[in-house]
Amino acid sequence: MTDLSLDEKKRYDRQIKIPEIGAEGQVKLKRARVLIAGLGGLGSVTANYLAAGGVGRLTIVDSDCVSLDNLNRQILYGTADIGRAKAECAREKLEALNPACRIAAVKGGIDDDNVLDLISGHDVLVDATDNIRTRLILNRGAVKTGIPFVFGGVENFDGMATTIVPGTTPCLACLFPHIRERSEKPGIIGPVAGWVASIQCMETVKILIGLKPALSMRLLTIRGGDLTIRQITLEKNPDCRVCGVAASADGKESIEI
Amino acid sequence: MSKKINIIVNGFEEEVLENTSIKDLILLFKEGDTDLIVEYNGRFVYPAQYAGLNVQEGDRVEFINPNFGG
Repeated sequence: MTDLSLDEKKRYDRQIKIPEIGAEGQVKLKRARVLIAGLGGLGSVTANYLAAGGVGRLTIVDSDCVSLDNLNRQILYGTADIGRAKAECAREKLEALNPACRIAAVKGGIDDDNVLDLISGHDVLVDATDNIRTRLILNRGAVKTGIPFVFGGVENFDGMATTIVPGTTPCLACLFPHIRERSEKPGIIGPVAGWVASIQCMETVKILIGLKPALSMRLLTIRGGDLTIRQITLEKNPDCRVCGVAASADGKESIEI
Repeated sequence: MSKKINIIVNGFEEEVLENTSIKDLILLFKEGDTDLIVEYNGRFVYPAQYAGLNVQEGDRVEFINPNFGG
């Protein structure tokens, strides 16, 4: 079965050759719809790879404009883009990269009021935000809708990632129930953002083509300084107020968004 | 008097008293960041388990500061 054009077969030839993908997997990617929350160091890379790889529809969300201190790691943008809205700028770059990828660019924030409307209808949510508050809003939306949510975060030389499959894995609020929002923006070396974002893309593609994501029930931690990569085995947190037993008993307080 | 045991903390061998809990280790190693997460022998440990989980000879504990930049 295939509804790939000759041009598409040529464009995606090198990944169609991968047995686990093939033409069938490529069609699944073409029919897929992914939301990327944030278009900074992580989102620049995830948007690039997912558009290049043939994901049919991308919703890209960011409220910020490009600034000079973004450019060490946010590889969708150049110096001439400073001051432009990231969502619009990214849409242009991604459409130029792959005109077949339909881009919905949203210049705005993600909050409790709009999250369900934003994420509805997507197959995967990619976390490319830069703060825990928005991540937990997305997490609640993911748990409520059952949409897989691929978390990634970076700081200095380090990063972490996990894939949340609602109902199966722990959610983000299981793992980080008491995180305080940080007032200062952390340092980030570009390659670690690219590294974590690439892992998030791998997880996203696997979910879209029907393979098991490697980071369900695992938290990957990367230390770029000594190139240590660890996988921590996860269990669901029964006390989680978003997805655990506590949520069932006290759903109004925990999961309402 | 409690026996001493050897464990690995953040990659380094350390000698601690038998029956030391994860909660005790956090205080002992002055892990002041309240956001930290704990890996115990490759498994994620939830804060509710810190006080009741005592380390054993040869255990490996990592204190990890989560990363939330993007």
